[in-house]
Formats: sequence, structure tokens, C-alpha cells
Amino acid sequence: MSSVILTGLGKRYGRAPALTGVDLRLSSGVTGLLGPNGAGKTTLLRILATALAADEGQVRVFGQNPADTAGRLAIRRRLGYLPQESGFPRGFTAFGFVDYMAILKEWSDRAARHAEVRRVVGLADLTAVATKRVHALSGGQRRRVLLAQALIGRPDLLVLDEPTTGLDPQQRARLRDILSTAGETATLVISTHQTEDVAALCERVIVLDQGRVHFDGSVEGLISSAAGRVWLATDRHPEAQHAWRIGTGRWRNVGDAPADVEVVDPTLEDAYLLLVGDRARETEKEVVA
Amino acid sequence: MTQQPRTWHANEAELRALADGVAGPALGASVESHLMRCGACRARMNDLVDGVLLDSVWSAIRETVEAPRPSVFERLLRKFGVSAESGRLLVAVPAMRGAWLIGATAALLFAGGAALFASGFGLALFLLVAPLVPVMGVAAAYGGDADPSHELVVTTPYSAGRLLLLRTAAVLATSLPVAALVGLALPGPAWLAVAWLIPGLAFVSLSLAAAPFVGATVSSGAVAATWSAIAIAVSKIGDPMDLAGPAVQVGSLVLCAAAVTTILTHFRLFDLPRGQT
Ligand SMILES: Nc1ncnc2c1ncn2[C@@H]1O[C@H](COP(=O)(O)OP(=O)(O)O)[C@@H](O)[C@H]1O
Ligand SMILES: [Mg+2]
Ligand SMILES: [Zn+2]
Repeated sequence: MSSVILTGLGKRYGRAPALTGVDLRLSSGVTGLLGPNGAGKTTLLRILATALAADEGQVRVFGQNPADTAGRLAIRRRLGYLPQESGFPRGFTAFGFVDYMAILKEWSDRAARHAEVRRVVGLADLTAVATKRVHALSGGQRRRVLLAQALIGRPDLLVLDEPTTGLDPQQRARLRDILSTAGETATLVISTHQTEDVAALCERVIVLDQGRVHFDGSVEGLISSAAGRVWLATDRHPEAQHAWRIGTGRWRNVGDAPADVEVVDPTLEDAYLLLVGDRARETEKEVVA
Repeated sequence: MTQQPRTWHANEAELRALADGVAGPALGASVESHLMRCGACRARMNDLVDGVLLDSVWSAIRETVEAPRPSVFERLLRKFGVSAESGRLLVAVPAMRGAWLIGATAALLFAGGAALFASGFGLALFLLVAPLVPVMGVAAAYGGDADPSHELVVTTPYSAGRLLLLRTAAVLATSLPVAALVGLALPGPAWLAVAWLIPGLAFVSLSLAAAPFVGATVSSGAVAATWSAIAIAVSKIGDPMDLAGPAVQVGSLVLCAAAVTTILTHFRLFDLPRGQT
């Protein structure tokens, strides 16, 4: 049973389309959303989080329609959302802000609410700074305050827009731990620029570019689409889409491999670069034609 | 009383006193804050008491150390019978913080002062400003413009309309008495002190009713601009007292009723995501 069903989803800002004809079904587990800047990831996540209304198509979350009042309320009761950007009310401490969000999430019993706030503050590794004002925290800590509020009440749908920005490697590893645990029962959608996050966490990956879905499948599936297109050589190859010198002094080339080269196993990053690069070249051809 | 950070570890007697709930407040607070920082003493405490008891002691300690100390405003609100939860919801927006209240009071005192010293023009100024103060308060209490975490707040199940009414009520409860007091100090009949009340309520409800469509900044700005234009024109061509006259009172009453009806019938609009009407 899918918890999220999107059919023919479209959204435009003024006349510029941000999403076009998006068809997706999501169920429990962690889904990664990859795509270049401006691809429409945030727009898609805001629609899932009932912060933005779609212009076209159908949205169903847990069978509910966010366009009607009762449906929207039912979705919001089961949602945790980490927006790409958010400010904080002035003067609130980390604990105070998460407590404020818990009140808005209908945790009216004070003792139960504070216990829950402590739990999520602990999960986000903020216990030591819980009494500090949010405005005095570092960027990464503020990000984790937003993460903490998203985890309140173990939501069935977790929508996280770039949760790993501003985190150091240890914090990233800890976040992966939290998210993979949550993904055992809940539906998790995360957007990121970091292909390693997706490779480490997600069963499923969706690549969005210019408002359209260009890949939707398993991480292995995306990686294998780059098989035979990554090779090592003593130089940058003129035909390569991307090439960089690796530690051993040799060059890793990504693109259409010529014959008789030392082909190596692709990574998710290689496959993602190729997918987006191929798309850009197709668009170029269309424009020229 | 301030607690000096302890440089020593807690001894067994102190830990046991704390675990049994018989430590005095000074000793208790000092050992508690040490336990927050010291894993070794926490482990010794663990050996002293059984797990269940420890959990409850531990969460009580964390409750006092971590739970936010209510701000001056929140404590004041508690005194007036506002619940801790509602207090927290109120202080999240600028309308319920010191700076705004000081600004509103200053505007009223200024207008009141002008009325004292330059009676005709000053009176018009007071009658112009007083009903607009709560309108500005609403702008400082609503949605995206006033609340930097609006994107998050709107995706919670808490009714945004209810939140707005709660905050509006607080704005009215704080700004109306100040305006009435300033009005009482003015020369002229006593009823002048409250003559702006109905226009003020009408403007607040009008701003609220239009807010879901155009945002609170635009709606309250438009209301303020329109009323200022009317007030200036009236006091130029006629008597400033007309601003408190029957025409304005009846007109305001009608506006107020229409706006309140709109708010009640369109209450769900406040919860809408952006881009949906
Ligand atoms: N509020 C907005 N108003 C106008 N255009 C917007 C707005 N938000 C996003 N866009 C545009 O929509 C497209 C998709 O943006 P976004 O969803 O933020 O992409 P991503 O998160 O993948 O970087 C971009 O071209 C962006 O400029
Ligand atoms: Mg984005
Ligand atoms: Zn110790």
C-alpha cells in the first residue's frame, strides 16, 4: 500500500514551470531525491508537506487529499517536515522552540510533551545546548533543531529537505542512523546534493531535473546505468564529460569510454553526473535542431 | 542565589539524599547540576537507586535544568490566567514582545501629547492613530511576515485561524487599555477616550478578513492608508470631532459586522497552503 501517490503533478511559479507531469508512488522506507539546483526538489517536498498547493494533478497522502480541509488536517497530524530554510522566533531556546512546535502539534499534556521534546532533542544530539538561544547556535546546530522538531511524535511521513547541509561527518553518520531507524516504519523522503547520503541510506532514488522525473528506481539500478562509462587513464580524455585526477595520479574519466581502456566500477555519483550530463546534451541538441 | 560550579564530585551521602528526595534545595541544585555534567557521578547514582526511580529522578532533574524559563511576558500572561502553552504560542511573534508594545505606547503618547498641546489638530491625530495601533499589532502577529517559522507552523495540525485569533486577542488586550488611558488624559468629554474603540475593532477585523488573500502587511497597510486619508480629509474640511461622530461609529459597526462574518465563514482559509484559494 503506497502512502504517497502523485499523479500528473504540476506546479508553476507565475509562468515558469517548476514541476511537470510528476507521477510517483512512495511507501515506507527511505527515498532520496537528487537533482541539480532549481530542479524542483523543494517544490515537490513543500507540496508533500502541505506547505504549497499543486496547480495540476492529484496528490494523495495516506489516501487523503491535501486540497480539502479534513484531508489536510489528517495529513498534518502524521507529518514531520524539515524545510530547506526556516527562521526561528526571537529569543527562543533550542528546547523552547521544539516545545513550541510540539504544542502546535497538539501535545497538550505538559509532562508528556516535555518528555517527547527531550527525546527528540537528544536524538538530534542537542542536549548540551538545549538551553541556549537558537540565534546563538551554529548553522549545523540550528539545522539539527529543525530536525528535532520534525521527529516529534514519530511521524509516519517524514519530509526532509537537505537534512545533511551543515553537518560534519560524525553528525552525518548519526543522522543516517536516526533516519534508517525511522525508515523501518515511516515513509521518508529526503532531498540532497550529496550522492553519498543517498548511496548510504536510500533503497530508492529519484532524479529530478527541470521539474521532471528522469530516474526512479533502486540505487543499484542507477549505478548500473553507468556501467562501462567510467575508466582510469593517464590523462584527461577529450571526450569525457567529467574527469579528475585521483590520489594515485591517474585520471578518472566519466563519459562514453573509448575501446581498450581500463573500465572501473561506477559509483552513484558517476551515474548521477552521467544522467544529468546526458540530459543537458539532449536539450542542447533539441535547441540546435 | 547563584550556584558556584562544583569542582569536586558528589559524595555518597549527597547522592543518597538526592535519590531519596531529602536533599535541601541548595544542595539538591548543586548536585543536580553536577550530575548533568559528570558521567562518573551519574553512574554512582545509578548504583544507589533502582532503574525506575532513577529515571524519574533523572527526568525531574532535566525538567528543571532544560525546560525553558518562561520570559517576563510569559510569566505576566500566567498571572492573567493564560496557560503556559498559549503563552508560548503568543510570545513567538513580535506583537507580544517588549519592543512592539513600547512602540505602540510611544505612538499613542505622542498622539495624546499632540492633542494636549495643539487641541484641534492634535485631537484629529489622536483619533487617527488610536484605532490603528491594534491594526499594526495584528500585522506584527500574523503569518509569514511576522513569524519567521511560518512555513513550519502552517504544516502543523494547530489551526492557523485559532492561532491568529489568540494572538489578536492578546494584541487587543494590551493595546486597548493603553489607548483608553491616553484618551482619558485628553481635554474634552470623557467618551472621547473610547470613541476610537469601534473604529479600531472594525479595522482589526477588516485587516484579519483580508489577510488570507493578500497577507497581513498589505491588508493592514491598506486599512491604515485608507483611514488616514479619510481622517485627514475630514479634519481639513470639517470638525476633527466628526472622526468620533455618529457617521463614523455606525459605519464602523457595519464594517465590523461584515468583516467578522467573513472571518467566521472563511475560517479554513487561514490553514491553506500557499497558492491555494
Ligand atoms: N517562491 C518561488 N517563486 C518563484 N520561483 C520559484 C519559487 N520557488 C522556486 N522557484 C523556482 O522554481 C524552480 C524549482 O525550484 P526548487 O523547487 O527550489 O528547486 P530545488 O530545490 O531542486 O533547487 C527554480 O527554477 C526556482 O527558481
Ligand atoms: Mg531546494
Ligand atoms: Zn562527579
